[in-house]
Amino acid sequence: MEIKFTINGEERTEQIKPNQRLLDLIRKDLGLLSAKEGCGKGECGACTVIMNGEPVTSCLVLAAQADGAEILTVEGLAEGDKLHPLQEAFIEAGAVQCGFCIPGCIMTAYCLLKTNSLPTRQEIRTALAGNICRCTGYQKIVDAVQLAADKMAAGGEG
Amino acid sequence: MQKESKLNAENRQKTSGRGSNKVPIGSADFLAPESLEKALDYRKRYGFEATVIAGGTDIMVDYFERLYEVNSWLDLNKIEELKKIEINDEEIIIGATATHKRIAEHPDLQKYLPMLAHASSEVGAWQIQSRGTIGGNIVTSSPAGDTLAPLLAYDAKVVLQSKGGNRILDMSDFFIGPKENVEESDELLTKIIIPKPSENILSRWKKVGKRKALIISSLTMAILIEIDNDGVIENARACYGAVAPTPIEVKNVGDYLKNQKLKEVDAKKVGEIAVAGISPIDDIRGTEQYRRQVTHDLTVNAIKEMAEEI
Repeated sequence: MEIKFTINGEERTEQIKPNQRLLDLIRKDLGLLSAKEGCGKGECGACTVIMNGEPVTSCLVLAAQADGAEILTVEGLAEGDKLHPLQEAFIEAGAVQCGFCIPGCIMTAYCLLKTNSLPTRQEIRTALAGNICRCTGYQKIVDAVQLAADKMAAGGEG
Repeated sequence: MQKESKLNAENRQKTSGRGSNKVPIGSADFLAPESLEKALDYRKRYGFEATVIAGGTDIMVDYFERLYEVNSWLDLNKIEELKKIEINDEEIIIGATATHKRIAEHPDLQKYLPMLAHASSEVGAWQIQSRGTIGGNIVTSSPAGDTLAPLLAYDAKVVLQSKGGNRILDMSDFFIGPKENVEESDELLTKIIIPKPSENILSRWKKVGKRKALIISSLTMAILIEIDNDGVIENARACYGAVAPTPIEVKNVGDYLKNQKLKEVDAKKVGEIAVAGISPIDDIRGTEQYRRQVTHDLTVNAIKEMAEEI
C-alpha cells in the first residue's frame, strides 16, 4: 500500500506493507538510522521519534498509521553543518556514553522544550521517564537538556 | 521478562523492512475508515478477522515479532468523532480514541475527574501517553489497566456500537476476566459516559509499581467519597486494579462507609474490608500477600487523608 507523509521536512510517498512498523520504515526503507530498536515493545524509548508534535515509540506504530503524519528524527534537527542546540548541549555536557539511547532522549527533550522552554530538573526527569539509559545515570542528560534550554533562551534557536 | 528466542529473531527479519518474501505487499489489509459508520461496516463484515488498532501501545506489544499473523488491521485513528471530549451539565463523554495525554492535560477533566486525569498522566511514559487511548485501555481489559479503577470509581458506562444499534453497559459489567470482555465481533467501543461528579467529592488515586514509568502496575486504587454538608458519607466507591481477575469495586467498603461521618470512620476497619474483597494472585509484579498488605495500607491512608481534608 502507499502512504504519504512528511519526514524531516521532506514530503515522501512510500510503498509499505500493512504489517510494517514505522521504525522499520524509517530505518530500513529510508535509511535514517538515528532511531534505534532497543526492546521493540515500547519500554525503552530508544526508537522515539516525533509524530505530529508528540514523542512516540516508533516500534509501536504501524507505518500505515503514519499516513498524512509529520515525522521528525534527529537527522532533521541540524541545519546544514550547524547542530541543533540540543545536540551541541549533549556533546558539551558529556551526556553521551554508548549513545544508543541518545537520539530518543533528544527527541523527547525536543518536545519538552517546545512546550516548556525552561524546565526544572524534575520536569526534565518526568518528561524523559520513557527513555532508558544504562550508562550515564541520567545526571548529565538532565544537565544537557538544561544547557540546551539556556542556549535556546539565549537565542541559539527559537 | 520475555527473552528473545532465535526463532523470534528470525521472524522479525521476515516481517518488516525490505527483503521480506514472507509477507508480500498487499497480502494484509489496512483499513483506515474516516467515518464511524464505515468502521462499523468493516466490523460487521470482518469481525475478529480484522484486528482493531487505535494507539497500538498494547496490541503492538501483544503481536511483537509476530505481526505477520495479523491479516487485516482496522485502524480507528482517522475517525474524528471518536476523539471528542464533551462535557454537559449531567455528563462527561469521552471518545474512545482520546489519548491519555489529552485526558491528563484537559483542564475540565482535571477538575471533575482528577483521578482519571492523574491515572492517565501515569500510564507508561510520554511516548505511550501520546498514542495510547482510553478506549484501548478499556478494551485491552487488563486487570492492571491504569485508567480502569478510576473509571469504576466514577461509575462510568461504556457505549458499544454496532450496525444493529447501541449497548450501554456499566463498566463493571464489561469485564469478564483477565483481558476478556463482552465486546462482540461486530461492535466497537465508541465512548465512555461518566456522570458529572457533584461538588462534595473527595478522591484518592494511587498506583504502585516497580518503576515510576513504563511499568505494568502491581496495584492501583481509586477511592471516591461523596459527603454532605455535615461530613456524612452519602456514597462511596473503593475500586482496585491488579488484585482480582478484573478491575473491581469492593462494594462492602461503600456499604460500610455509607451514612457514617467521615471524620469518625475507623480507617483500619475499612482497610480490612477492602482486603476481604479482593482475590489477588502471585505474579512477577508482586505476591498475593504483598498485594493484600498494600491494599490494606493504601486504603487506610486514603481514608485518613480524606478525613483530614474536610
